[in-house]
Amino acid sequence: MDSIDELVARLAQDATAVKPVPHPFLLSLKLIAATTIYLIASLTFSGLRPDWVEKLHSLWFDAEIAALVGIFCVTSLSAALLGFPDQYQKRKMVLAPIWLFILFLLVLILALRADSPAAQLPVHSFQCTLSITLMALVPATWTFYAMRKFASTHSRLAGCVALLSAFSVGALWLRLHEATDSLVHVIEWHYLPMLVIGIVGLWLGKWLLKW
Amino acid sequence: MTDQNENFESLMRQSLAGDQRAYAILLQKTSRLLRPFLAKRLSFGNEVDDLMQEILVSIHKARHTYDGNRPFKPWVYAIATFRLQDFLRSHYSDHLRHAVDFDELEETLPENVTVSELNYESISVEVQKLPEKQATILQLMHQEGYTAKEVAEKMGMKESAVKVAAHRAYKVLRNKLEQ
Repeated sequence: MDSIDELVARLAQDATAVKPVPHPFLLSLKLIAATTIYLIASLTFSGLRPDWVEKLHSLWFDAEIAALVGIFCVTSLSAALLGFPDQYQKRKMVLAPIWLFILFLLVLILALRADSPAAQLPVHSFQCTLSITLMALVPATWTFYAMRKFASTHSRLAGCVALLSAFSVGALWLRLHEATDSLVHVIEWHYLPMLVIGIVGLWLGKWLLKW
Repeated sequence: MTDQNENFESLMRQSLAGDQRAYAILLQKTSRLLRPFLAKRLSFGNEVDDLMQEILVSIHKARHTYDGNRPFKPWVYAIATFRLQDFLRSHYSDHLRHAVDFDELEETLPENVTVSELNYESISVEVQKLPEKQATILQLMHQEGYTAKEVAEKMGMKESAVKVAAHRAYKVLRNKLEQ
């Protein structure tokens, strides 16, 4: 007990005025705004797909993009909440990405069924995954950097969500940049690698978000 | 209960503003709040104290993530649970690291303790070396299954004398076999 009293006295001596971190909604808005600017800048630099006007009139393409944007926004919010030890006491919001991923899966299944006759597969393959990963590096870095200032008690989950958020930005960029109509290719090389990225995020979170 | 919660929260708000006295009171109150929680989950008092220190340091490090606009207790219990899980994980991984493999243990044992050098033949040989009367009594009682009373009738002895003779024979046998 004496050691506890000593520690309390020492910690109290060290205590200076501390500015609490911003509300997680504000934090996620900052992340979303910064990433949107990054995405717009990247698309300006790399260029939109040539058939983008035509594609915007395709129901399933619009649904796919909307679901991806939803995943990006909700994972950003979830990552911000996971930075707090108690997830800002909003556990349901932390798990919201699950619903978005289910919706995304549903959209892909319906789009695949509507894709008849199936579009021709492009000649390239893993290059898409690589491009998405490279594009995701910048948002992943700043999301992790921001989260390290917090005190996550679910570091693995936080790492997974942060990386999925960054990867969804990369996927969004490539879908708006590359003129590929083959959904099979898109699922195989754009979206399925998300599973691997999620696992890498679990591992990264454990190491990078330790406090 | 509400008053106590308000106390915690207002103390934390004062602490964040730099009030060291409020912070000391808050940490003391928190350690009293968490002690039963930890004691229920850990076996030894020194473990509770060690972990309590870690938790208090963690609260200190993470105090910027509390803004005073939500209940304090879930925030502090989240940190305590996190540190408790960390502590138990490292505690059990240490146990596993220091555990001895059963195969290794078998190799290091000095001898096979379950195998005895004694067997029926060796005992029979020793019985034959006993005085004739004692040897006959043991033979009748243990090989042919007679009771002490039946042996006494057969040999024309008193039952108590048979028991005494058998007892002496056991003693001699035990000494010889222990050598």
